[in-house]
Amino acid sequence: MSAADGDRTPPPLRSPRQELADSTAHGDVYLRRLRHAQLQLSLLALVAFGAVFGVLPLALYLLPGLDHVHLLGVPLTIWILLVPLWPLFIAIGWLYARRADALDAAFRDLVEK
Amino acid sequence: MIALLAISTVTLGTLGLGAWGVRFVRTTSDLLVASRSVTAWWNAAAISGEYLSAASFLGIAGLEMKLGASALWQSLGFTAGYLALLLFVAAPLRRFGSYTIPDFVEARLRSPRVRPLAAAIVLLIGGFYLLPQLKGAGLALNVVTGAPYWVGVMLVAAIVAVNVAIGGMRGITYVQAFQFWIKVFAISVPACVLLIHFGGLPGRAALFGNELPRAPHALTVKLSGSEQVTFPAAAHITIGDRPVTVAAGAQRTLPGGVPIHLPAGTVVPVAQGTVAQTGAQWSRPVGGTDDSSPLLVYSLLVATFLGTMGLPHILVRFYTNPDGHAARRTTVRVLSLLGLFYAFPAVYGALGRTLTPQLYMTGQTDSVVLTLPRAAWPGTVGTLLGALTAAGAFAAFLSTSSGLLVSLAGTISHDVWPRLRRETTGGVAVRRTRFRVAALGAMVVPALLALLAQSVDISILVGWAFAIAASTFCPMFLLGVWWTRLSARGAAVGMLTGALLATAAIFTGLALGDESTSVIGALLAQPALITVPVAFVVMIAVSLRSPAPAAASAEMLALHAPEGLGLRLAEDDLDAPPARASVIIER
Repeated sequence: MSAADGDRTPPPLRSPRQELADSTAHGDVYLRRLRHAQLQLSLLALVAFGAVFGVLPLALYLLPGLDHVHLLGVPLTIWILLVPLWPLFIAIGWLYARRADALDAAFRDLVEK
Repeated sequence: MIALLAISTVTLGTLGLGAWGVRFVRTTSDLLVASRSVTAWWNAAAISGEYLSAASFLGIAGLEMKLGASALWQSLGFTAGYLALLLFVAAPLRRFGSYTIPDFVEARLRSPRVRPLAAAIVLLIGGFYLLPQLKGAGLALNVVTGAPYWVGVMLVAAIVAVNVAIGGMRGITYVQAFQFWIKVFAISVPACVLLIHFGGLPGRAALFGNELPRAPHALTVKLSGSEQVTFPAAAHITIGDRPVTVAAGAQRTLPGGVPIHLPAGTVVPVAQGTVAQTGAQWSRPVGGTDDSSPLLVYSLLVATFLGTMGLPHILVRFYTNPDGHAARRTTVRVLSLLGLFYAFPAVYGALGRTLTPQLYMTGQTDSVVLTLPRAAWPGTVGTLLGALTAAGAFAAFLSTSSGLLVSLAGTISHDVWPRLRRETTGGVAVRRTRFRVAALGAMVVPALLALLAQSVDISILVGWAFAIAASTFCPMFLLGVWWTRLSARGAAVGMLTGALLATAAIFTGLALGDESTSVIGALLAQPALITVPVAFVVMIAVSLRSPAPAAASAEMLALHAPEGLGLRLAEDDLDAPPARASVIIER
């Protein structure tokens, strides 16, 4: 369908699609760039997640005073475990999925142009 | 009686839907075509439905009652596992198109020789995960009908094995999604009704203050067998007709089958393996006791965060997403659905601590979700709510163990059997028979082990399955998806190291029992913190030392290139799935 562009170009100039399909050196570069961009995004999301969730057990361990702060008769520490982490998970997941899809879309544009 | 009726309804409903679903799938000729019309929300509910097992439905509340607020990390970890899955493997694995983990290993590493190892690890993880489901079933039937523990284990094992063998409950999206909503309903309604009934949490002093759990009213407890208990405070109790006075800190062996009366306000004695905690200790999420040391919490989080992607019954569920983009969307929805469910188990652990403290004495804290409604609110309402939680628990056993058994039987019939019998693949009929026999056979070992594991907490058992998955398949997936240099030898040696280390640690911990000191004991009980990094290092080191594998560009293309570009072999041609997949579809 959209490979027509590639068909019209003279033989030495190959479209990204052909490079990818034939797994040439150029095609590998395109794909590696996508893979690295995706991995970078995933690691960024992982760091954001770790900065909050990964540090939390240590923070609660080192701040035992938090146990004595009560909210509606329940210790604040328990509220922290029960409530705010779920929106955090969903927000990170949602933002990540949006960016990852955008990277895929950019790659698709590159190959189809 | 009502509870028994509710359980039967859920079981028959599941079997019936499964049978109806089989006919439905046959008429549309192929699971994959049917799955194209499934939306992301349905898929997410189906994944959550298969995932929420006895550990989530009974185990978290039980562990919370026993150990305290530190058990809540488990529900967070179970959910966070899907975030790891989303960030690193969901879309690539869907695009790669492998149905099972051994399929992925063979195709990605271009090596049929690593396949048997992957199959063996699938059996190990699946077995460890089936065990607590059956334990939960034994417990639940015991609470509901008073039948001995082994009856429930054997009954559910038989139902699931026969059902999978005759072809019911295969990966049918709508059945699993239905199971998810049953479970949410069954856990949320009683929790909310009880909270409203008591106007919040009763007995706060034992939850968050300096009190030990006390009998809320005069209690009569009958132990199933004689048991050694510890009295944290002095008590005047009656054993049979004989009044007994016990000093604080005394250990007594209480007889089984005799009614033991605890007057109202007595500090409840605790069974072996349970530590009496004040409310302040109980409500500390980290560092309250040895069981909630930061090391153990982190090890558990590593196991659940990284182990979820390596569970054998999860990968095939992702195949019902039409493409990688949909796999991402579905996984984000799974995060929110699991969040919805996990808001509720915590309520049972807390209410159970003040309203059914006799479970500390019997050591059956795992049954708190089932026992609590009737004990907390005697009468019709309590009975109805109890029937509801029992039905939800059965939905949990049935859905998870069916999904697991399908994976196990598929692995046995496809990977193990032909090797043993040196048969060639055979026709469709031969393969189907083989799958049926394997489904019956694969249930035997976990069922026998479940009979032995009556005293081990459900959550602990499930933690092991996650630890093994995190130490074997997680590094293999992460490196296999993102690192071109991963070699077949590296993957094999790494997975073998992880599996052996994790299994050895777990069994050493079991053998040492309570005698192990706290730090080492914690790491033996939940070894992921050590075994996962070791598996990664071994996998990378061996891969770097073995000759560089061919560039793997075809595999990387299949994993990472978006769909719809015409770059893949047989792309979007869902009527002609790869030959390997046929084994799964024919079931």
